[in-house]
Amino acid sequence: MNGARDIAIAGIGVTVQSRGSGRSAISLLMESIGLALDDAGLSMRDVDGYVGFTFPAGNGQGMNDANVARQFGQPMTLVAETSGAQAVLLAGAAIRAGLAEVVVIPAGGSQSAGAEMATYTRPTYEFTEWTGSMTPAQFALIARRHMHEFGTTSEQLAAVAATAHRHGRLNPEAVAFGRPALDADAILNARMIADPFTQPMCSLVNDGASCIVVTSAERARDCRHAPVWVLGGAFETRSNSYFEAPSLGMMESRPRMIDGFARAGVVHDDVDIVMCYDHFVHGPIIQFETLGFCAPGEGGDYVPVAMQLDGAHPGSLDGGNLAYSHNGVPYNFKPIEIVRQFRGDTPDLCPGWREGIHTYDRNLCRKVRDPRLAIGCAPMTDGRHGFAILAKD
Amino acid sequence: MDASFPVPRPTPLSAPFWEGTRAGELRLQQCDDCGGWRWTPQILCTHCHSPRFAWQAASGRGKVYSFTTVHRPPTPAFTAPYVVAVVELDEGPLMLTQIVEVPPEEIAVEMRVKVKLTALDEAITLYPFTADREHIA
Repeated sequence: MNGARDIAIAGIGVTVQSRGSGRSAISLLMESIGLALDDAGLSMRDVDGYVGFTFPAGNGQGMNDANVARQFGQPMTLVAETSGAQAVLLAGAAIRAGLAEVVVIPAGGSQSAGAEMATYTRPTYEFTEWTGSMTPAQFALIARRHMHEFGTTSEQLAAVAATAHRHGRLNPEAVAFGRPALDADAILNARMIADPFTQPMCSLVNDGASCIVVTSAERARDCRHAPVWVLGGAFETRSNSYFEAPSLGMMESRPRMIDGFARAGVVHDDVDIVMCYDHFVHGPIIQFETLGFCAPGEGGDYVPVAMQLDGAHPGSLDGGNLAYSHNGVPYNFKPIEIVRQFRGDTPDLCPGWREGIHTYDRNLCRKVRDPRLAIGCAPMTDGRHGFAILAKD
Repeated sequence: MDASFPVPRPTPLSAPFWEGTRAGELRLQQCDDCGGWRWTPQILCTHCHSPRFAWQAASGRGKVYSFTTVHRPPTPAFTAPYVVAVVELDEGPLMLTQIVEVPPEEIAVEMRVKVKLTALDEAITLYPFTADREHIA
């Protein structure tokens, strides 16, 4: 992809995100597929591609491409396993190559059952599990190393979390909506999970699903909403998270990430929204640095200001993984929130948001002013990191 | 030990490592061709892709790359607080481990540490690290 407007996100779908839904992952996923196709003005009959981590295995037939085809009742010409921004780029490449025409990207899960800690936070690997490490510890190790190398502080981490939580408190669809407000001090003084992370610096644990529909420009122009163009991006996988020791190795991908902007003909200053992967608070800081929005080490100062709703590059606009939703596979939410911001489909406390009346009063409104170009990030770990560049006409 | 403690289960690839800890050594794979060390256990050299290697006793020493004190354990098998760490071994690889017998407030990144092999049962000896007092300047 080189900045051409020939691949588009044509539809998005989001189920209710909630704790203890009592529903199966398969049920949530199939609902999200239906919502996204309906949003696009398409049907399951139109789909020939499927990209997702969570395959429809709820029928006892396992996770494989044949079972995916079985769900749709027609041949699939593309089945692949990834999610979020990376899946959007992969779908676009496949469509451009003629391998598929309408690709659905469902993601999500149901694991919380009201639990405090999801099962996927407990790696079973022989060299990981005995250490008592789990997801917050794995990423606390990365945050602590960043603090050591660059002087990043707990106060800066708390400021990132405070912004995400503030946005989440404006979003009636957020799992944390209605919970007491959290400022940076309250976040710093909250229950410690794995230092430097207190609980509000860690992801939620909840149920839910989401789906993205990617198609060609030709098909997208006939769809219900204006196309959101996939201009390009970059990806890298270096190492196997949860199995290998966590490190800052992903920051070495900075030149490749910056090259992704150049290939798409996009300059950083023109980017209106940066939806970082905010599973833990160090995420946005490291991503801003690695994507080239600021120099390595500058993120601690820069990001808490830049990501504000009227900042240079607003982010965590739905509340992020900290306050909106972490349903196990929440990567889709970064591109989805960008599409919703482009459309003005941003549920918040503005009385007339449905009619497109956004007050931009930051006590009510989480709509960014006139965004046209945005970055949606993928998990920023050694295991999988990168971003997609999205634009509207 | 808590009955639910996640006792490591060796694989054919990793068994020599666990034989090493039981014998009192921290053994890693070292490439026969380029001499590079690797961790975790892998089929090929991660430096030069050679399949030829030997399990060699490493120094068991290194420095703290990063650490975190876990206050909220993943399962009741663990008693908080405890310290999970990444140690940069003197041979080069990063190793996920625990740091024991050092108060968390005394642990720092770059601190010198050495392995403290700790028998879990007859088959498995774990490899947490502790302060390397000999190397404290």
